[in-house]
Amino acid sequence: MHLELAGLTRRFGTNPPAVDTLSLSLPRGALLALLGPSGCGKTTTLRMIAGLERADAGRVVVGGQDVTPLPPEARNMGVVFQSYALFPHMTAAGNVGFGLETRRLSRADRNARIAEALALVGLTDYAARKPRALSGGQQQRVALARALAIRPELLLLDEPLSALDAQMRDGVREEIRALQQRLGTTAVFVTHDQAEALAMADLVAVMNRGRLEQCGTPEDLFERPATRFVAGFVGRSSRFAATVEAPGVLRAGGLALPAAAAPAGGAVEAYIRPHHVAIGPDGAIPARIATRTYEGATALLALETPLGPLLAEVPATAAWRPGDTTTATLEPGALRVFAA
Amino acid sequence: MIGWLLCLPSFLVIGLGFLWPAAILLRMSLNRTDDIGAMQPDLTIATYARLLDDDMMPGLAGDTILLAAGCAAMAVTLAFPVALAIRAAPPRWRGPLALAAVAPLLVSGTARVIGWIAILGDSGMVNGALTLVGLPPQRLINNWTGVRIGLVESLMPYAVLVLIAGLGRLDARLEEAAATLGAGRLRTFLRVTLPLSAPALAAAFALTVVLGASAFVTPRLMGGGRVFVVATEIYDLALQTVDWPAAAALAVMLLLALGAAFALRGLLPRGRA
Amino acid sequence: MNRAGPRRPGPVVIAGALAGFLLLLAPAVVVATVSFSSGEFLAFPPPGLSLRWYVTLLGNAEILSALATSAILASTVAMLSLLLGLPASYAIARLDFPGRGTIATLLAAPLLLPTLVLGLALLLALQPLKLVATWPGLVLAHCTVAVPFAVRIMTTAIGSVPAELEAAARTLGASPLRAALRVTVPLAAPGVLAAAALTFLVSFDETVISLFLVGPRLTTLPVELFRYAENRTDPMLAALSMMLIVIALTIVLLVERAAGLTRTLSKE
Repeated sequence: MHLELAGLTRRFGTNPPAVDTLSLSLPRGALLALLGPSGCGKTTTLRMIAGLERADAGRVVVGGQDVTPLPPEARNMGVVFQSYALFPHMTAAGNVGFGLETRRLSRADRNARIAEALALVGLTDYAARKPRALSGGQQQRVALARALAIRPELLLLDEPLSALDAQMRDGVREEIRALQQRLGTTAVFVTHDQAEALAMADLVAVMNRGRLEQCGTPEDLFERPATRFVAGFVGRSSRFAATVEAPGVLRAGGLALPAAAAPAGGAVEAYIRPHHVAIGPDGAIPARIATRTYEGATALLALETPLGPLLAEVPATAAWRPGDTTTATLEPGALRVFAA
Repeated sequence: MIGWLLCLPSFLVIGLGFLWPAAILLRMSLNRTDDIGAMQPDLTIATYARLLDDDMMPGLAGDTILLAAGCAAMAVTLAFPVALAIRAAPPRWRGPLALAAVAPLLVSGTARVIGWIAILGDSGMVNGALTLVGLPPQRLINNWTGVRIGLVESLMPYAVLVLIAGLGRLDARLEEAAATLGAGRLRTFLRVTLPLSAPALAAAFALTVVLGASAFVTPRLMGGGRVFVVATEIYDLALQTVDWPAAAALAVMLLLALGAAFALRGLLPRGRA
Repeated sequence: MNRAGPRRPGPVVIAGALAGFLLLLAPAVVVATVSFSSGEFLAFPPPGLSLRWYVTLLGNAEILSALATSAILASTVAMLSLLLGLPASYAIARLDFPGRGTIATLLAAPLLLPTLVLGLALLLALQPLKLVATWPGLVLAHCTVAVPFAVRIMTTAIGSVPAELEAAARTLGASPLRAALRVTVPLAAPGVLAAAALTFLVSFDETVISLFLVGPRLTTLPVELFRYAENRTDPMLAALSMMLIVIALTIVLLVERAAGLTRTLSKE
């Protein structure tokens, strides 16, 4: 494992910890997304990895070396800040070369590295421009080049896409991902946008209130959420209350529902994704279509059922309309059940 | 921590140049002057008693307070329209206008007095104009009149500074609202602008009173050696009579008076901006 | 925040403002004009224009010596204020350490006292040490009032540089000192320049404290001007005043060129 966080904790004053005993591992060359709502501790975690925040407990281990006691300048990590933090009094080349000044490089080598970094992000022609003469997207690329020029152990990005226009985001997202994979740099980025996390990352760590809810591949998180929070936060789902009647059987809304995996007994909360809810004449759950939201290739139907409101995803060509009555079937293996 | 180390050099300067001399000042005020005018080390309030007992003291203190309060009030009153005009000026002009209002501070106090002598003096502009029109010339310098005029002018830039800062927090939309409700200029001014400016005006007055009470150059030069305020008395005691205990004691009393005025201001309810 | 400001002020306010500006600027304008007077008295308007008083001025050895003293003194005080004040400003603006507020208040304290009292206190303290009318004494006295200004201005300037820039520099391998010197200080440069200019002016114009601390062999230009004004009333006073004003104006203009002083002052 290239990066290991062991029991990382950070407290501010007497408040509950901002980061609470966080542990995870990241293999070399992988991209990890720290995902969660505002205030969940993801940015604090990133700053602790970088050394910009001290850890109250726990360790940060990079390549087998405990870097926790080291100050930021000794950690060789490239950081891309949310506001880019470009030095306004230096040109793009000056910014990119800043990290190289403390390393023993000849002037020629340094210039070569600067040119290389700028070429990586496609800004060779902008080397002599000051940040205020660059667009937001260009500034971000300079920030990226600056972080990469030092050939860092780890690349850390704090909400890299949040300051960009929506239409730019997809493109930049792919560029960053492609760059990261091409260079093979292990990287961690912070985001609150789960679509972004699922699309870009090799591993996603979902955080809530300082604690790690689940760390896994995007597919793991989406198909097999480990906690109620992950089930509700990642992707869309419908939620309903039920009781475990017998192993493999749930009772909700007066109906018996097969469930592949459920706790032993008692009250539970069940989650199911819209694309695992089938609409058709032979279903077990009577349903009335309340609304239909067109989404391009698919449509989202909001159903009123004895279980409560359910969401179902159908092809846009399907004929279901608000007011229709029909039945719904829940794919048993797709039900995520958690103790209430 | 490193913070303390970084502050240490500056702190040393302040310690050597301010804290320690202040202590010496206090200590000196507790010394005594004997009959032949020599200083005697002692620990007594005799010097304070001597000063307070002096027939001249009530008059001196009264004159100083009246001068300070009167000139401060005048300075603030004259500075108010200047600050209002700067506030209402188009943004491009605000900086230069503010600089112009504050520029006199760059001109040494003595130099300004010389300008006033040329304007108010016997051969000055005002008297020249008066004689031209056939009116008798007026004695406008080397007396209290000259001091008052000069002091008001020297206090104005400070008043303008404080007022600009205070008025900056005044929301223009409040005056606009008053206008939409039918208030004319005078009414808007009296019912909206003036009350909301009160805290800034009070702050400007407080600052200028303190500056006016301790003013030295203007009373000394514009007064021609005939106007006596606490500041000139301290100077004379220190360098002419060389009665250091008395000079120190008077200085301490001045500080106490200023401190009391400051504390009093803190007790007054502060208006919301 | 006012965008366009309140509506145009009425005629009363404008008249009052004009009167106010007139009052503020009259002495300086008059002094400038009278300095070129060909007459014997401080009369305005002057009977004629001539450079005679400037010539007299430049032929006066005492005054030229005082000018040299003031210039050297002010330069020294400005440099010292910057050197001593910059680390303190950085600490107050950037670092969080116990007692930070107290130190900041203490460093601003000398400005609370009237210069008259400060001058007296310094006289009483320095006389027994035979430091009155000496260079060290004067430098200390002027620095005591200059350093608070310098610290205040530079603290604001450093505070306006985003702390994140230093963090970025640290992640790129810069030590805290290097990050401060390569990133924060250059960006705070306009404020530092303004502090240099202001401390120079404060020292150059300083009258009252200097009155207590000068002597027959060491005196400053403002003190000479004061002594002259006490004893005479001829246009040479105006010429001498102009000398002070012109030097002050030149410094301000130089800084305005270099860094936009107005911008720095109005940011406060």
